[in-house]
Amino acid sequence: MHFLWASIRKELKRRFNDPWALFMWLAIPATFGLLMSTVMGGGGPRIRALLLVSDLDDSFISQTLPAAFSGGQLADMVEVREIGEIEGKALMEEGGASAHLVIPEGFGDDYLNRRPVDISLSVNPAQRISPRLVRDVLESFLDLGNYLHLVLGDELKAITALDDADDLLSEVTALISADISRKITKVGPFLFPPKIEIVDRTPVPEGRPVSDLLLMFPGVLIMAVFFAGNGMASNYWTEREKGTLGRWLVSPNHMGIFWAGQFVSAMLLLGLVALPILIGGFFYVGIPFEMLIPSLLWLMLAGPLLFAFLMLVQVSAATSNSADVIATLLMFPLLMVGGSFFPTEAMPEWLAPVADFTPNGRILEPLKQYFIGTFGASGLLEALAPVLAATIVLIVLAWLVVRRRLTN
Amino acid sequence: MIEVKDLQKSYGELLAVKGVSFTARKGSVFGLLGPNGAGKSTVISCICGLLKPTAGTVTVNGFDIVGEAKKAKRSLGVVPQELAIYEDFSARDNLAYWGAAYGLKGRELKSRVAYVLERIGLQDRAGELPKNYSGGLKRRLNFGCGLVHEPEILLLDEPTVGVDPQSRERLFNLVKEERDKGTCVLYTTHYMEEAENLCDELAIIDHGKIIAAGTLKDLRAQVGESDIIQLSGTFDPIAVEAAILGLAIDSEILVLSAGTLVLAIEEAAAQLPAVLQAVSSTEAEIRETRLSEPNLESLFLKLTGSELRA
Ligand SMILES: Nc1ncnc2c1ncn2[C@@H]1O[C@H](COP(=O)(O)OP(=O)(O)OP(=O)(O)O)[C@@H](O)[C@H]1O
Ligand SMILES: [Mg+2]
Repeated sequence: MHFLWASIRKELKRRFNDPWALFMWLAIPATFGLLMSTVMGGGGPRIRALLLVSDLDDSFISQTLPAAFSGGQLADMVEVREIGEIEGKALMEEGGASAHLVIPEGFGDDYLNRRPVDISLSVNPAQRISPRLVRDVLESFLDLGNYLHLVLGDELKAITALDDADDLLSEVTALISADISRKITKVGPFLFPPKIEIVDRTPVPEGRPVSDLLLMFPGVLIMAVFFAGNGMASNYWTEREKGTLGRWLVSPNHMGIFWAGQFVSAMLLLGLVALPILIGGFFYVGIPFEMLIPSLLWLMLAGPLLFAFLMLVQVSAATSNSADVIATLLMFPLLMVGGSFFPTEAMPEWLAPVADFTPNGRILEPLKQYFIGTFGASGLLEALAPVLAATIVLIVLAWLVVRRRLTN
Repeated sequence: MIEVKDLQKSYGELLAVKGVSFTARKGSVFGLLGPNGAGKSTVISCICGLLKPTAGTVTVNGFDIVGEAKKAKRSLGVVPQELAIYEDFSARDNLAYWGAAYGLKGRELKSRVAYVLERIGLQDRAGELPKNYSGGLKRRLNFGCGLVHEPEILLLDEPTVGVDPQSRERLFNLVKEERDKGTCVLYTTHYMEEAENLCDELAIIDHGKIIAAGTLKDLRAQVGESDIIQLSGTFDPIAVEAAILGLAIDSEILVLSAGTLVLAIEEAAAQLPAVLQAVSSTEAEIRETRLSEPNLESLFLKLTGSELRA
């Protein structure tokens, strides 16, 4: 145990004796992230969801539903297209849209009279984020609608009673809107103190708005983890060529201690490299800081999968040079396919699922979903088990390869 | 104590060690003397458990190095021929780390590290990273790493290669000190002066086989009292052989080729003029003459017909 600790300390101390390498692991992905975010900010590729709406009701109430997507950032991300029900279905079947919302006849009426409201939303399973986004927005919008109904039922009825005369409508709407807001401020706190607050908010989805930056950010983190993991895995050849691995083998210690030391120090170093990027990114992207610790732990516990994968590459290669070449040749395509250079959401449909088969994609995707809000920290925990199992398998394989190669 | 019995080791097709046996004892230095490629390092690697013997056995302090590796390894300290140190880890850290590898800790570890640093003359630069050291300093650190844990058995594989004479003297003293403390030292070298100076017992190894073994005295006896005369130049071997035999002196031709003549001969200094005259009479051209007292070099010459230092 004492020697395991000494081995971990040794790895850390050696890294700190070469702070530049440590810094580069961190600096390259961070720079890349910043560059990409600048490029994207300047009108680069964006995620766009195409929401088809077949409004069979065509009432005032039904028309407010698509309007849920017209505000703020959502307007940039979701394009709403009115379409007939049949055409919409066809287009969905072709995979030409993210989601199709069908508002049935009588929807407005049902809503106003508080009868069960039923709308149908079909989503495109080949796309990941966009349909989710649509559903989330709609759900929260409908929730909002329920509160609205409780407080403002009369005004809503008044609006629907109006004729379609456009000018008049907008004028009256403005008036009534003013009335609504007055009413909320006045009555709200007394009627439904906790709920009015929700009514008062602009109708955006719960959770974070899914921006390009948010989608890019996990990729940058994983890139840093990949680089750092590679740096640490290539330590195998340093140990071999500098003869220290040989010294290790002639010492009376179990090789398990060597591998445990490698694993734990990799874990700590990955955390060390990830932390500054996490903190910087959380500020920059605007992720709440209560997500910092789970994210860091995820990178430290799941990140060693990349280290273990690269370690297996290193120990299987014939020389340190070929190890480096193979590692580099593997790393860049993997980073690309695994969603580090651009998120899976921006990939062609056929390519996106491939990310799941890459070790880095396996670490990136759950973290991204966590950032987006698909699941909480417990979701990360669930995703961790198979990653850890794979890590252990890879390390044991590397160990066996080394044993076979070095003592014959 | 190290006992090596009928040790064989092959690298694929190449049989590098062909049945080597010897015993190295507590409190003495056992030398393994041989030219490049003789198989010295391979033997060392088999003893310390880095390589698995192809055949034969190695026991270290009574423990089989294959079957009871952990127990056997515990008493070993190894100074490999190739440097085995972390270059990005200070000398002090290196020593402390390898000490910890053998279970040293706390105050004991600290005092051992300080002691070894002083003995290898690195105390003033202990905090520096070895990558900034000269080759000789790295060697000294490599040496220190092998004995920081006070092993009962020390395997030294050509520890003085590339070390300046002063440091070499220092390392010799360290080895002798360890021996006097009761350590069993196995020392490989291709410098016969080192072997003569340091070793209590010796084995001369060539092409993976021990060709002579015993104490220094035993080996000297094998060379006999003959001195060595060594001539280089251009010779006609048949004519030269006839001329030497015609001298009717007590001599033995060890090597005779178109470029070299080596003779074992008693009272060489007195006989040299006659030898030179006889060789010259064959119209040979003599470019260099060397005369030496009986030593391991001459034994090696005698046994193998070639020089130790190729
Ligand atoms: N890893 C290896 N693979 C194949 N052949 C090897 C290997 N190591 C050594 N040999 C061969 O085995 C023989 C013995 O080598 P070894 O290193 O034991 O000699 P040595 O006596 O230590 O020589 P030196 O004085 O040069 O260190 C040589 O012919 C060498 O080429
Ligand atoms: Mg050698």
